[in-house]
Order: sequence, then structure tokens, then C-alpha cells
Amino acid sequence: MPAATDAVYERAARAILCDCGCHPQSVLECACSHAQEMREAIAAEAAAGKSAEAIIAGYVSRSGESILVVPKAEGFNLLAWFGPGAGLLVALVGMAVLVRKWRRSEPPPPGEAPPPAAASDLERLRRAIDEGR
Amino acid sequence: MTSTIGHFALYLALVAAAWATLASWLGTIASGRGLQKSAERGIYASFAGIAIGVLALEIALLTNDFRLDAVYHYSSVAQPLPYKIGALWGSQAGSLLLWAFLLSGMASITVATNRTKNRALMPWVVTTLGLVMTFFLILVNVVASPFASGPMRPDGVGLNPQLKNYWMMIHPPTLYLGYVGFTIPFAFAMAALAARRTGDIWFRTTRRWTIFAWFFLGTGILMGSYWAYIELGWGGYWAWDPVENASLMPWLTGTAFLHSVMIQEKKGMMKVWNVTLILITFCLSIFGTFLTRSGIISSVHSFATSDIGPAFAWFLGIVFFGSLLLLVQRLPDLAAESRLESVLSREASFLFNNMVLVGIAATVLFLTTFPLISEAATGRKVTMGPPIFNIVNVPWALVLLFLIGVGPLIAWRKATGENLRRNFLLPGLTGVWVFLLFVVLEGRAARESLSGMGRALVSFDAATFLDRLKAFYPPICFGLAGFVLATVAIEFSRAIAVRRRQNGENAALALVRLVGRNRRRWGGYVVHVGVVVVFVGIAASSAYRKETVQLLDPGGTMRIDGYALTYDGYRLEAVNDYVGAITELSVWQDGRFVGRLEAAQRWHPNMLFPELRTAFHDAVAARTGDPATYRARIQGIFALISRLEQGAGREVKTPSTEVAIHKSFSLAAPQRFGEDFYVTPLGVDPISGKANFRVFVNPFVNFLWLGGLVFVLGATICILPDARERQRLEAQMALEDRAAA
Repeated sequence: MPAATDAVYERAARAILCDCGCHPQSVLECACSHAQEMREAIAAEAAAGKSAEAIIAGYVSRSGESILVVPKAEGFNLLAWFGPGAGLLVALVGMAVLVRKWRRSEPPPPGEAPPPAAASDLERLRRAIDEGR
Repeated sequence: MTSTIGHFALYLALVAAAWATLASWLGTIASGRGLQKSAERGIYASFAGIAIGVLALEIALLTNDFRLDAVYHYSSVAQPLPYKIGALWGSQAGSLLLWAFLLSGMASITVATNRTKNRALMPWVVTTLGLVMTFFLILVNVVASPFASGPMRPDGVGLNPQLKNYWMMIHPPTLYLGYVGFTIPFAFAMAALAARRTGDIWFRTTRRWTIFAWFFLGTGILMGSYWAYIELGWGGYWAWDPVENASLMPWLTGTAFLHSVMIQEKKGMMKVWNVTLILITFCLSIFGTFLTRSGIISSVHSFATSDIGPAFAWFLGIVFFGSLLLLVQRLPDLAAESRLESVLSREASFLFNNMVLVGIAATVLFLTTFPLISEAATGRKVTMGPPIFNIVNVPWALVLLFLIGVGPLIAWRKATGENLRRNFLLPGLTGVWVFLLFVVLEGRAARESLSGMGRALVSFDAATFLDRLKAFYPPICFGLAGFVLATVAIEFSRAIAVRRRQNGENAALALVRLVGRNRRRWGGYVVHVGVVVVFVGIAASSAYRKETVQLLDPGGTMRIDGYALTYDGYRLEAVNDYVGAITELSVWQDGRFVGRLEAAQRWHPNMLFPELRTAFHDAVAARTGDPATYRARIQGIFALISRLEQGAGREVKTPSTEVAIHKSFSLAAPQRFGEDFYVTPLGVDPISGKANFRVFVNPFVNFLWLGGLVFVLGATICILPDARERQRLEAQMALEDRAAA
């Protein structure tokens, strides 16, 4: 295949899902025999001069959007593309607010004095402090 | 007869578990220990009933009782013995039975080991465990019975060929031990809330259970990755498949929990968060089981499609919202005992670590379930493939790697400049040096990425900027790995030096005694090292992988990245329950002959076609006779398969691939240490022998598995019994009992 055709093939095969039911993988990556058939079909279309976009659009029109390895970044799908990033921002802001609140808060007031600890408890506590860090 | 016994044993187990739940709950209001004792015996009885059920199903599998659907669909006469045994967890009903079996076993151990302690918590613990057991027993008795039967059939369909691998015997039970194990700390957390004993006892008592569950889930994930690597033939080990994600999520939140309880232990903070985390972890374990078994989201594991979805959804809803309600009611009991003094402290670093771990888990959950959300909201089906997961999770993972280095060395309460300089100067310099080294080694590619990032920045093109930034992920990962390894090395060397000075021990003895005195801490460092090595393996094998595909005739040669592969020839075989074409290959690495490999394509004929079964058995019978006859009979099977496929209307054969891997561990080629040369036969013509080979060179990929072994070692150190931990727990119990009195 000429280099340009090769690039078209690779782009299309990387974007289209192998619908064999195995792992969610592109036609380019999947190792099953069905992927091999799909690779040959895509290579034939690329060799016939179709662009990667046209090959991908053909698959989407025949099989629906789920034939794409990842959904297009448009409409409702934007939620998937930007949702985690927005979640990260919210988490960072939330964390900053929480840390600020905790740092400003007073330590809890001492309650009723606990009963005096037994000597054995104190000894265990001393050992725990010695061993811990 | 055996299956009838199993069937009734499961009914009795359900009755016993339901009684244990009810009696234990009544025991929390009634006085005296009679009801509680009866409830605990109910747990033992339920375990015995489930064990009989498991035994009965195994006997049915081993004796080819094809009346049972769980035997007919997942076993066959020709199926090798280990896979007949493993077929128990191949079926949905069988795997739910395994869940119930493991849970009832763990519940029995919990009851037995707490006979004389934690008496205030145990009624609620038994109620919770009994409730979960009852749910799974309802599933295996009513919704998906492993003893559902039909007419007797001459042979079975057999296990999915991809599952006929020795990992099938180990990976699913290991993973299930992890999923199920989180039920115990969850039960204690709920008991602590219900009994208003919200101190440290519940998580100290279950610490080893938590590590146990976390260890098995982590090990199970690694085993699953290795299995995918050697079985599926695509040269990778992780594809963000929904079922893979299902196991990763509770492991991530479980990891967050293991770290955040340390803050409660040391500072009395984050009590609400810790209960929330274990609740989320348990719910994700149930969700993981549901996702694995229901096939609700299409995946490689969706052979288990079923109608158990509504039952799981109800159970998850009741558990999650019920537990949340209890948590909200107990909020006043969970007030923090101290405050965060500085963001430069170990508490803060653990907070960030929790944010990242839970953030990754939330992202994975959101993206995994997005196809369902999209379909519900817009009616459009979409697929979430690996690229969209990697965009978010790779940067998260790098931040996590940085925090792995920071957490153990930064001071509690507030780090001073001196503390930071003393602990982080050398590791920081090491990290920067390693990063720069790899950037220089990348040379031109790094410069091109850098200039691309600059251009994207000027033109405000965020997508291109992020795309170009990816080229720096591996050097950043290696730099951070150098940083973390240096922090761990410094920590070990300082502690060993102190012991040598104080006790005059040699270095090896000092190391052994050091680890023995505080297994959790030093075992934790070993786990960190394992995780770092895993990260290095993932980063390098993903970034520097090379692959090619080529059609070869016998005698042909192909080349890739310093390797040469010669296709010497092929042979056909008919064994067990498949026919195969085995390709014989010779491999040269950098001009040096390194060995012969065999990669195969297999076809598993559907033995329910009588003519195919006869042809297969004829071929197997000819195996020891004239080689030409044997070969001709196998070729005849291929011809028959082709003919049947034209008009059968159902599956005639199932293909599977056996990859060939040459692992490089020779110090003669240090630059290739840990590398795999990986060959997948995409197609082999059984008549002409013409074969299409897909070949990968996966640098550093074995670091992933080596890191996994280090992880196992570290987790094992953490989980070993620790007398000092026990003493601390007993002291805490004595104090809390006195306070309660």
C-alpha cells in the first residue's frame, strides 16, 4: 500500500471497533479472525481511494455509533469526554474547601474526663508509642 | 440423586442463613445469649449446606450428568479433568454458588474467631453477614439454580475455548476471594454504627481481612491481565473491558481505605470517610459480581448474560441506601478528634492519595456505565474503548505515583523545611535525573513533542497540547519511579543503619528483624516497590511496543526491531476436544539464535453435530497410526466444518489462539531485559500451511509481572500475624469495654 493509503487505513482501522464481542478493541488491534476480515475490508476501501472519514462514516451508517472505539465528542457524548475532568475540578475545589475548613476549625473541646487508665493500659500505650511511628 | 441432595442442601442453607439473620437481629434486642448462639450455629449450618451443594455440583460435572444445565453448557465428555472441575465457576449459577460458599466459609471463620471477643459487635456482624448470605442463597435457589435440569443429553457444549487455560483454575476463585472478603470489614463497620461502637475496634479487628481481600483482588487482577496477555493474542493485557474495570474499582477504593484508616488510627480523623469508603468498596464488589455475571454491558465475559439484574439492583439499592441512612444517624458519634494542621503533612498526603484513588474509581465507574446512561438518555448506543479511559487515568496514575513517594516520608501533623530537605532532596534529584536521562534518550521524538506542545500552546489548541504531552508520560513515569524507589531505599537504609549501630547486627539480620518488628509498615514499602515496578512495566510496554503483520509461506522469514522470525513449517493435530495447526518457528535476536517457538491456531468443533463428532474421533484414533492418514483426516474435519458452516445456522466451531512468547532475561542483552517477543498466528491454512503472523516486541513488559510478584511478597508480609498488633487491639478493646461500662 502507498504511504498515504497506509495512513488512511491505519486511521480508520484504529477508530473502528472490532464487533466480535471480545475486549472493546479497535479493528487494528484485535487479534480475532473477524478483525482480520474487517482489516481486509478497510484496506480495500482505502486502496480504492476513500478517505478515513468516509470509511468511518460508512461503518457508522451501517452499524450505528457503537461501532466507534470511542464516541464522537459531540452532543450528549461531551459528558463522557469532559465529565471526568469536571469531576476532577470539583474534587480539587471540594478538597481545598475541606482542608481550609479543617485547618480553621478548633480542636474539639475536651469532654468529661475519662476514667484514669490502669497501669497495665499505660504500659501497653507506652509500648505502642515506642513501636509505632 | 446427588444433584437432588445438592438441591435440598441449598434450600436448607437458605433457611439456616435466614434464621441466622433473624435470630441475630432479635438477639440485639433480647437479653441472654441463647438467640445469638443459635444465630451463629445457623451460619455454620448454612456453610455446611452450601458445601454439600458445591460437592454435589462437582460430582455432577465429573460424572457428566448432562441433565443439569450447568453441566451441559459448560462441560463435555472430552473436556479435560481440570476444566471439568473449573466449569463450576464457568456457569453463572455455579459462580454465584462459589460466592455463597466463600462468604459462608469466611463468615464461619469470623464467628469462630470472635467467640469470646467483640461481643457487642457480633450480633450485628452476624446479622449483616447472614443478610448477604441470604441474598446469594435466594439467587442460587430461586433465580439461577445450579441444579436446574432438562432431559439427559449425550454430550455437553463444553467450556468456552478461551477459558480452557490453567489460569481458569486460579484466577476466578482468587478474584472472588477478594470480592467476598470485603464483606467482613463491611459487616464490622455496620455493626460499629448499629452498636454505637464507632472507635477503632471495627477496623483494627478486620485489618487482616481487609488486607486479605485487597491482596486477593489485586493478585486476581494481575492474574487476569496475564491470562489475557497469553490467551487473547493481541499483545496487551488490559483493555478497560467492563469486567476488568469491575474488579479494579473495589481494589482502588479498598486501597484508599487501607490508607485512610491510618489517619483515624493516629489522629482520630476521617471516621465518616472510612465508613463510607468500606461501604463503597463492598457495594462495588457486589456491583463487580453483578457486572461480571449479568453481561449487562457487552464484554468478553458476556457469555454469562442472564436475568439476575433486577435482584442485584434491589439488593445493591437496599444495602447502599440502608447503610447510608445508618451512617447519617450516627454522624454525631463520628466527630473528628483532632484537626488538620498543615497541607504539608502525612495526613494531607493521604487525603490527596484518597482523592486520586477514589477519583480513578469514580472515573472508571462513570465511563464503564456511560453506554447505559447514553442509551437511557438518548437511545443511542456508544462504546467506551481504551483511549477515553487513558486520557483521564494516565495523569491520575502519575499523580498517584508521586504521592506513593511522598506519603511514607513526610511528617505527621506538619512537615518542617528540614524534614522536607532531609527526606526528599536526594529522591527528588534522583527523579529529575532519571526523567532527564530518558528525555535525552528519546532525543528527536522528545524535541518534536516539545515544539508541538509550544505551537499548540500559542494557538490555544488544548487537544493537540495534551496529545503531544503524552510523549512525556513514560519519562515522567520513570522519573517518578526513580523518586519513589529512592525514598524507599533511604528509609530502609536509615533504619538498618540504626539497628546495626544499636544492636551490632549485620545488614541482613537487621533487615529481617526490622521487617519483623513492624510488618505492616515495611511490608507496605515492599508493596509500594511492587506497584512502582508495575507502573514502569505498563509505561514502557505501552510506549515502546512495536508490531508488524506478515503473511508467510513455510520457510519464509520476517523481521522486526532487531529480531528475525523464520517459519520453519507446521503440523496438524487432533487432541482433547480440538483440532489445531501448530506453526514451528525459529527466532534470532540481534543476529543471535535464541530459540524455537510454537504458536498455534485451534478450532473446537461443536460435538453436537454427529458427523463432526464422528470425524473428530476418527482423527484422534488415527493419531498413533500412519501420519499421512492422520493428517488427511484432520484436513477432512476442516472441509466438513466449511461445509456445515454454509447451512448450519449455529456455531460449528470456536477458534482460539495459542501465542508463542520468547522472554528475554539474559544479561548478554541488558537493553532487552524483561522484553517479550510475542507471536500470534492470525490465520493458518491447514492445506497449504500459508500463515499470517502478527508479531509484537514488548519492551519491559515482564516488569509488570515481576512487580506483581513483589506486590504479592509485600502484601504477604503485611498479612502475617503480628503479636504487637494483637496486643494493641486487645488494649484498645479493654479501654473501649471500660468506657462502655
